[in-house]
Parts: sequence; structure tokens; C-alpha cells
Amino acid sequence: MIKNSQQLNAFAKEIQTKKEKYKGKTIAICNGSSCRALGADKITQLIRDEIKKHNLDVDVVNVLTTGCHGFCERGPLMIIQPEEIFYQKIKPEDVPEIITETIIDDRIIDKLIYNDPKTKKKIVYKPDISFYKKQMRLLFESNEHINPKKIDDYIGIGGYSALAKALTMEPEAIIEEILKAGLRGRGGGGFLTGWKWKFCRNEKNDTKYVICNAAGAFIARSISEGNPHSVIEGMIIGAYAIGAYKGYIYVRHGYPLAIENFNLAIESAKEFGILGQNILESGFDFEIVISRGCGEFIAGESSALIASIEGKAAIPRPKHIHATEKGLWNRPTLLNNIETWANIPFIINRGADCYASVGSEKSKGTKIFSLVGKVNSTGLIEVPMGITLREVIFDIGGGMINGKKFKAVQIGGPSGGLVPESLLDLHLDFDSLKEAGTIMGSSEMIVFDEDNCMVDTAKFFIKYLMDESCGKCTPCREGLVQMHDILCQITDGKGREEHLDMLQELAWGIANTSLCQLGKSAPNPVLSTLKYFKDEYETHIRDKKCPAGVCKALIEYIIDSEKCIGCTLCAKRCPVNAISGEKKNPHEIDPMICIKCGICYEVCPVNAVERK
Amino acid sequence: MGKLIIDGLKVDADPNKTVLDVARDLGIEIPTLCHHKSLHPFGSCRICVVEKIWKGESTLQTACTYPAWEGEIRTNSEMVLRARKFILKLMLASAPESEEICKLAEKYQVFETPYKHNPKKWNNKCIMCGLCVRVCDEIMNISAIGFAKRGSERYIATPLDEYSETCSTCGACEFVCPTNAINVSDWTDREIKPHPSIFERGLISRPAVSVHFPQAVPNIPFIDKDVCMHFLNDSCGICEDVCVPEAIDFKQKDKIEEFDVGALVIATGFDLYPLMEIPEYGGGKIPDVIDALQFERLLAASGPTAGVVKRPSDGKIPESVAFIHCVRSRDPEHGVAYCSKICCTYLVKEAMLYKQAMPNGSAYSFYIDIRTGGKGYEEFYQRTKEDWVTFIRGKPARIVQNGDKVQVWSADTLSGESIKLDVDLVVLAPAIIPSAGSVKILKDLRLATDEYGWIKEQHLKLRPLESMIAGIFMAGMVQYPKDITDSVAQASGAAAKVLELFSQPELKRTPTIASVDTEICVGCGYCEETCPYEAIKVDERKKVAEVNAALCEGCGACAASCPSGAAQHKNFFKDQIFAMVVEATKDY
Ligand SMILES: Cc1cc2nc3c(=O)[nH]c(=O)nc-3n(C[C@H](O)[C@H](O)[C@H](O)COP(=O)(O)O)c2cc1C
Repeated sequence: MIKNSQQLNAFAKEIQTKKEKYKGKTIAICNGSSCRALGADKITQLIRDEIKKHNLDVDVVNVLTTGCHGFCERGPLMIIQPEEIFYQKIKPEDVPEIITETIIDDRIIDKLIYNDPKTKKKIVYKPDISFYKKQMRLLFESNEHINPKKIDDYIGIGGYSALAKALTMEPEAIIEEILKAGLRGRGGGGFLTGWKWKFCRNEKNDTKYVICNAAGAFIARSISEGNPHSVIEGMIIGAYAIGAYKGYIYVRHGYPLAIENFNLAIESAKEFGILGQNILESGFDFEIVISRGCGEFIAGESSALIASIEGKAAIPRPKHIHATEKGLWNRPTLLNNIETWANIPFIINRGADCYASVGSEKSKGTKIFSLVGKVNSTGLIEVPMGITLREVIFDIGGGMINGKKFKAVQIGGPSGGLVPESLLDLHLDFDSLKEAGTIMGSSEMIVFDEDNCMVDTAKFFIKYLMDESCGKCTPCREGLVQMHDILCQITDGKGREEHLDMLQELAWGIANTSLCQLGKSAPNPVLSTLKYFKDEYETHIRDKKCPAGVCKALIEYIIDSEKCIGCTLCAKRCPVNAISGEKKNPHEIDPMICIKCGICYEVCPVNAVERK
Repeated sequence: MGKLIIDGLKVDADPNKTVLDVARDLGIEIPTLCHHKSLHPFGSCRICVVEKIWKGESTLQTACTYPAWEGEIRTNSEMVLRARKFILKLMLASAPESEEICKLAEKYQVFETPYKHNPKKWNNKCIMCGLCVRVCDEIMNISAIGFAKRGSERYIATPLDEYSETCSTCGACEFVCPTNAINVSDWTDREIKPHPSIFERGLISRPAVSVHFPQAVPNIPFIDKDVCMHFLNDSCGICEDVCVPEAIDFKQKDKIEEFDVGALVIATGFDLYPLMEIPEYGGGKIPDVIDALQFERLLAASGPTAGVVKRPSDGKIPESVAFIHCVRSRDPEHGVAYCSKICCTYLVKEAMLYKQAMPNGSAYSFYIDIRTGGKGYEEFYQRTKEDWVTFIRGKPARIVQNGDKVQVWSADTLSGESIKLDVDLVVLAPAIIPSAGSVKILKDLRLATDEYGWIKEQHLKLRPLESMIAGIFMAGMVQYPKDITDSVAQASGAAAKVLELFSQPELKRTPTIASVDTEICVGCGYCEETCPYEAIKVDERKKVAEVNAALCEGCGACAASCPSGAAQHKNFFKDQIFAMVVEATKDY
């Protein structure tokens, strides 16, 4: 039990000194959900067994199970400190070697180190990897240094010192600091967090609530799993600033590790006197409850989320009256995104000016993105606001897979717009994204290359949104179905000239008349592709062709008899026996049987199969 | 205070009101579908969008939810109309069978939709406004129904799609639905609370608060406490919210009014032989076999279908209708022996009206023989025979459901062929029988009836307006089946009789009534028990029986029952009779 900030300080010092004195190695194994799915927990166990087997003392080596390191594509990952040796794609059979070679003999294992797909160079140390190099990991860095299940680890890296500091400040001063830092909501809307706090503070009401929106996907999960205390610390500061005594963390039911780590963190914070009554002898009381959400996309929308905590269906309501005035159970409620909360300790500790020195003019600090799609390096990245798309995709992401041509990147989740090559120098911040016809949204980035059809891609996202629409309001429920239907007709070769106007009208209507932001932003994939890739739509409609060769109804596979060497490989692999021909003689595809799966196209050793 | 400019009109901004409230106060019309005065604003249909202009930027906001903040609102701008048309087109595609949506769309010059109907939609009238769900939750506090699934698959359902145990069967869901998409019977298999409307012959139900029928006297609504949720569940009270003059008072009590009158005219009407008791014609279980009075309501402009003949099962306009005469009339074995007298004429009329509304439809008439006596009736019948109605002489043996048709099995006794005829609708003319009200009042008044229950007149030919009790007259079908002309004539006669009675300064009675010899009477009360007219009573203080001369009909029952001989018939005293006997038997 820590009574006050002096004791907290002393405890932190103690841990830090211990750490500094430590001369052995630390194996930090990522135990985030992604790496676990790839076998990280088994590897962790094997490492422990192996250490025991070799009778290695804790002075020589210790194991740290951490949260997500971000480079999920390369999992399971480990970083061996202090050198920061980066091992990736570790298999259970590699474990004995890691101990004998790297830990005992200080030798690098060649097959486990990272091979840069762009430069083809092997890279040993984490800071040298281009994926990490251009990142600025203000929040994420600590993931590699702490075990999220241990509050000691968090305190050891300076955790809860911001809380101790905040509790000595006037609430108004805290809010001023957050305002000055220019922090904007990470949930997608980009509303100035300080304003929200101020509105909530100004409400006269005995009961107020704070809520952490951790309903999101990968980013929310990696923070919940990897550094739950940073969120809790942010929430206590926020609650103190606005005068709330109870907080809720809304997590997806489907993320058990996140829930487990949050629960542990809350329990240990209570034991330490950091949560509960009379926090650090400040006289301030605050408790946090975990509320499990169903995992629907719409449940992340703030009014739907509040309804869900209240025990109702997660369905949005009109938000003319803000939650800061009438939120949870009609009380003033401060609802912030999990990443927003995680930023608070940094701002309080390092000061608004320091924070505001990072980022672009109107969007401060760093932002975590999930980077996926056709780039070489995928995973979760943290970058300063204002970084260009080009830097993210070509430096951090390591460029396009197989050197294919970049076509578009979708930013902001399913209802984000698709941004073309001409906008690669776009700055990643709230306002520039909006201008380009997309959103910050859920900060997901999906990169598409020349093999992706933009009509088909738009159709894919509209289908997702159509299925995730709660169905409350007419335009979103009915409009998206119609939009999807038209897109299906276009990709099926039944597109008509008037479909383009119909899509425009649907997009206008859905965007302008929907009840919540899901509907209002849903047309973005269609609007942006109509704007930047209109020619693709036109080719589908007028020429009945899919330039990217994706839309099955619009393509055919033909074997070039000149090129075909009659190897029979395609015939053997064809799942519907549509290919016939004598050995060593040109083969033929029967278009009536062909299901256009494209396997022949992929397997042909001489590129004799053509897609038209 | 800031100002709100709404369509150019300047009013005080008031965030406690919605833009819709303010607009309606100003007489500005904004269409709504999901809005209901008694429910929390929901904002799902989006039809009430208006343009909000604030700092030079236009956005669309739903008037039903948007606070009347300062700024400018336009309820009819180009942007608003574009949005409403857009919404209506989507609704036309998703609820193509809703007449209400079609009408609203027409108002906005939307006559068709470019969008496709989703064949998987759960209900082709529902616009998912949620009023049914919300009324059940917010007003009735029951939540028997809710939304199931999401997105375009969203639908209204009970938990697990099973019959609801909690549904109160109040029918509010059905009632608030703006597009007639909801049926309470989808949620429950129990009896539905709103009773079928008697006036509409059960074709629709009657809400818990209603007026009996449009021309009812007094034309004042009443609350049916047996079904009103306010009384049953301590919930609801919507009628109170919507009644502009604030006339609803739940504290009012039922009361029985007593009047002293000098005469009675009984005009308690008739009933039709109940369909339920006619098993060979479906026994009331085939929805498209209806009786002639139901058909009468379907033809009426003020009826449940506004005068468009739609059959009950699916609301389809029938393309063929069979009219069956003499159902249980002239049928002593199964029904009544008498001729119901009016059916031939009215059924021919109904067939004609149907043909005039549906010139391409087919009308068939099954009859034994046609009796259209009365002024002009026969001529009318002859005209319908020309080429309007096909008359088939034969009494159908059975009527059965055949797919979505109704099949009539009959013989054509003129050609000797047997017939199975498929039609969309069958209209029966069941026998006319005394109404339940007649039976009750005649019994209470101890008025004599014949074997069928028709009231007995003092003399069929000479005193056809008077009942067996002085001062009680009759009019209309309480006596026997007759048409309107005859009923009106009889009623006028009865009224004249009443006036005749009232025009005399004193009530004149025949002197042959009972009297009591108070010297002999001991007040045993035998006479009181026997008197059918309550005309003789024992005075408890004096312990003697007394006769009310105005009530006594002189039947003599008291005299016969009196053990002491105190009760006697005036002018028929024993000694008078003996004297008469003596006189009569004297030798001349
Ligand atoms: C469809 C939809 C989904 C959303 N999902 C999330 C989410 O998963 N997590 C989140 O923090 N915000 C989500 N939001 C945004 C929230 O409504 C809200 O703006 C945000 O949580 C506020 O926090 P902030 O100010 O810290 O950004 C979503 C919004 C919409 C419209």
C-alpha cells in the first residue's frame, strides 16, 4: 500500500535502481494477442523451461512477458535487452538455440533476425529496423519494457507519477494543460479533449462519470493488453479534473486478455491505494468498473456505447445534447477514447509544451495506426501527427509487396475514403484527412495495389457497413443496401450509365440524413472512389471490363496457345476440370465450366494464361 | 435570449422545445412518421429533416429531435425537399405495400422509386419507425416486443420469436403503427384486448377509447375499462396527452341514470343468425365468408375500408363474389320457419353496388326464390337480372376454403347440374332474429313474445303498435322482420300513440281492474307474487295489499290466487257474477 506521492516516488526509485544495477539480459517476449495466436505463450514457457534446464540465474537472464510490440506480421517477436536484439517469427524449436547461443554465448542467430524486404539487408537490432525507425513511440515504447500484469513494472518506468503530480494541481489547471497541449480525441472525431473536459467540469451535478472507450479493434486491444495502467492513470486524472467518482472501461467481450489485464490492473491499483478511497492521501475517491461490450462495430459510437453500459441495445441516439451534459444515466459524462486517455500521463508529466512540440499545427502528439494491406511491413505503428502517407507506406511499411504499383490507401476504418497516389504526400492529421475525403476514424490504414479493383473494394466496405448498421434510421439501413446492390450490379457486368448518378445521390442522402456518424461517413468509400477512380467505374459499366482483373463476371482466362508448353499443371490444379489438352500440346479453357478462380493463372510456369 | 428564424418567422429560441414543436405552434407543417407526442423523440425515419443554417453552414437536422436553438431553420428548402424525396424513395422500395407511404410520396411528387425492393424484408409495410416497440416499452411498461437483428435484417419481434407471455394484448402497437404493418396477433395467441368493433361487425377492432359509431347519440367517446391499459396496468394515458381540450378524466365513474317516463316505445332491433352456428358455411372460420351487414360496412364510405370492397383475409379487392340468400330463413329444420322478408331486396342491392364498384367483377346470387315485395323493389331486381348479377337457383350445401379462394358447392335446380364455384368472397344473408337486447328487455318488462321471441302485439291487425302492457309501444324489428319503410311507418304510429296518451289530462283506464277488500285482507302477499305487472303491493305498515290502478291490466291473477277472497276484480265481484248467472238462467 502506497500512502502518498513520496512513498510512490521512493518505490519507483527502488525499482529503477534495481533495474540499473541489473547486468544480465532481459528477454522481452511479446504476449499480445497476435503473437499469442502464433504461439508466443508456448515459446515463453519453453524459454522458462530452458533457462531452468541450464540453471541460469536471474542475474544472468530474466523473462519479461510484455504487450504488443507492433510488428505483428513478424510474430512471435522477442527483444533481447539491453542490446535490443530483435528476433522474429520464432518457432518452438528455435528456443534452445536462443538460450545457448544468444543468452549464454552472446551470438546472434542468423535465421531469426529480420530481413528487410526492400533492401534485402539483415538487421539485428530493433532501432535499425525501418519499420521502427520513423516511428515515434511515446505511448507504445513502454510496451516492450513492462509486464502489463505487474503494477511494479509500470511504476518503475515512472507510472502514476503524473497522477501524483496532477493531484497537487487545481482541476482547472489540469484542464488548461490538456487544452494547451492541443490533444484531440483519438476516437476519430478529433474534438479538442480539453474542451470536452471543460464542458464536463462546468456542469453542476453531484454525479458525473468518465468512460474509456476501448471498444475499438487492434489499437484498443494492444493498449488494453500491453499497458492498461497508462489508461487507468489517465482516467483518474480526468475524473479528478472534472469531479467524477466513477469510471467505466468499455471493452469488447471478445478480447479476454484485455479484460483480464484491465481487471488485474484495477485490482493492483486498488491494493496500492491508487484507486479507491482517498487516492494517494489527496482526499479524492474514484473507482473503475469494467463494462463488457458485444463487439459490434456500432457499439464504439459514443451514444450507442452509453446505451450499452446502461444495459440497453447498443443503438445510437441523436446527440444534439452532448454526453458532457447528459450522458450515462443522463449525468454529465466524459467519454474518451482509450488512446486519448493513454496520452494524459505524458502530457501531465512532460508538460503541454513538450507534447505540443510533436505533431502538426492543429493535430498534436503522436497517433497509433494499424497498417495493413499490400505493404511489406504491417502492424501497429505510432507516428507523429502530420507525417506523410508516403513516409508511412514506403518507409515504415517498407513499400509495396513484390514491387507492385501502389493504387490507394484507405484511412480510418471501413467508412474511410480511399486516397490515390496523387495524394501520397498528404499529411496524416485530422484536418488534412477530412479535406482529402477521408477520416481519422479508427486509424486503420489498408494499402491497395494495382491488383485491387476499386469498385470491388468499395463494394466490400459498403457490405461491411451495411451489415454493421444498427438499422435504426432509414437512410443508413435502406440506403446502404441499395448502394451495395448497385455496386454488385456494376461488378457483375450489369452496370448502367445512370448507376453513377444513383450512387452519387445515395451517397449524398446517406451522408446528410443519417442519424449517427456511421451512416454519415458510410458513403466515403464510394464517394472517394467515384472521385479518384471514376475511370474504373466507367470501364466496368461501359466496356464491361475490370481493369484490375478482380470482378469475376468481367474477366476471362485464356491460354495463349503460342506460349503454352502443355505441362498440364493448370489442368491438374483446376478445381472444376475446365482445362483440357494433350500433354505437350497447347491446352484450352472451357469458359462454360471455368469459375474464374485464377489458379491456372497463378500456377502457369510460362505465363501462358492470360486474364482479360 | 437568442432568436430562431424559422421559414422567415422570428421567434424566441427555446432549447427545451424541439424545432418540430415550434414549427407546429406556428402552423408550419413538417411531415413525421416515427414521431409521437407521448413518446420520447427517436429520430429514426428522418422524414422530418429541416435545414439548419448556422455560421453560414447548412446541415440537415431532424425537427423532432433538434432543440429550438438560435439560428435559422428552413423547413421547405431545396435541400430539405431533396432529402425528403430521397427518404421517400427508399421507403417506397422497402415498404411498397404501404398506402400511407405512397400517399406521402405523392405529396412530394415522388411517384416511383429507382431502388429495388429487398425480398428478404420481414414485412412489406413496415418502415421500422419503432413506434410499436416504443409504445410497448415507454407507455405500457411491458416491452413485449423489441427489435431483432440489425441493419437491413432488423425486424420487430417478441423474444425468441415465440408467443409473448408478457404481451398484454392491448393492441397499442397495432394502433400506433403509421403504416398498418403490425398485427397484435403476431405476438400472442391469447384473446386480443381491443374488442372487435360491434358497429363495424368485427371487421376492425375498437380502441379502448372510442365513439360507438360516427352518428352515435350522444356523440361522445367513452373508455372501455375492461381493455384500457390505464385502468388495467396503471400505464398509458396517451388519450390524455393528445386531447387538446383536456377532456379526459380518468376519475369519472360509471353511473346508471334513472328516468321516470310516461310511456315506452321499444325499438330494440334485430340480429342476424350467427355465422358461428352455420357450420356448413364455414362456421365463421373462413375469413372470406361474411354476412350481409359486414358487406354493408365494406361498401360504406365511412366504413373500415373507406368504401373500397376489400376482403378480410388479405385486403384484396375481390374479383368474384357469391351472395347466398335464405341462410337459415324458411328452414324450420335448422333455423327459423319464417321468411326474413328483407334479405332478397338488400342482397340484390349489395350485389348491384358491388358490380357498380367493380364492373369487371362477377357477382353470383344463390337463391331459392326471390321475394322482393315493396315499392319499386321488384323492378330493381328485374334490372339486376339483366346483366349485372348471375342468378343461380339453388341452396348451397357447403362452402369451403380452396387455396386463397372460397368454394361454393351447390346445385342449379333449374338445370339439374351440380356446381362448384370458386369465388374471392361469399356474402351470406342469414335469418333475421330478435336481438339479444330485445330478448333481455322483453323479459325484464314481462312482455309476452311468440315462439321466436318477437314481441306480441295486443292485436295483430287492430292494435299492432301496442304491447300487452298499456303505455308500452313497439317499432321496427322487435316485432318481426320488416324493412326501413315499414319500421319508419310503425315508429311514427307508435309516436302518435304516445302523444295520444299524453294529450289527455287524466289517464283513462278500463274499469275492470283489481281491488282489495281491506277489511278481509291480511297482507299475506300471494297476490304480489302472482301479479305479472307489479301492480299490487302489500303495504307493510297497514298489512294490506293495495292496487296501483295505473299499472293493473285486470288480468285477474290476484283474485284467483287470493286465499281469503279479499282481492277481487272490479265489476266482476262474486255477487255481481252470481247475479249475472242468476239473471242469465232465469226463465223468461
Ligand atoms: C460507427 C462508429 C464507431 C466508433 N467506434 C469507436 C471505437 O471503437 N473506439 C472509440 O474510441 N471511438 C469510436 N467511435 C467514436 C466515438 O463515438 C467517440 O467519438 C469517441 O470515443 C470519443 O472519444 P475521443 O474524444 O477521445 O475521441 C466510433 C464512432 C462511430 C460513429
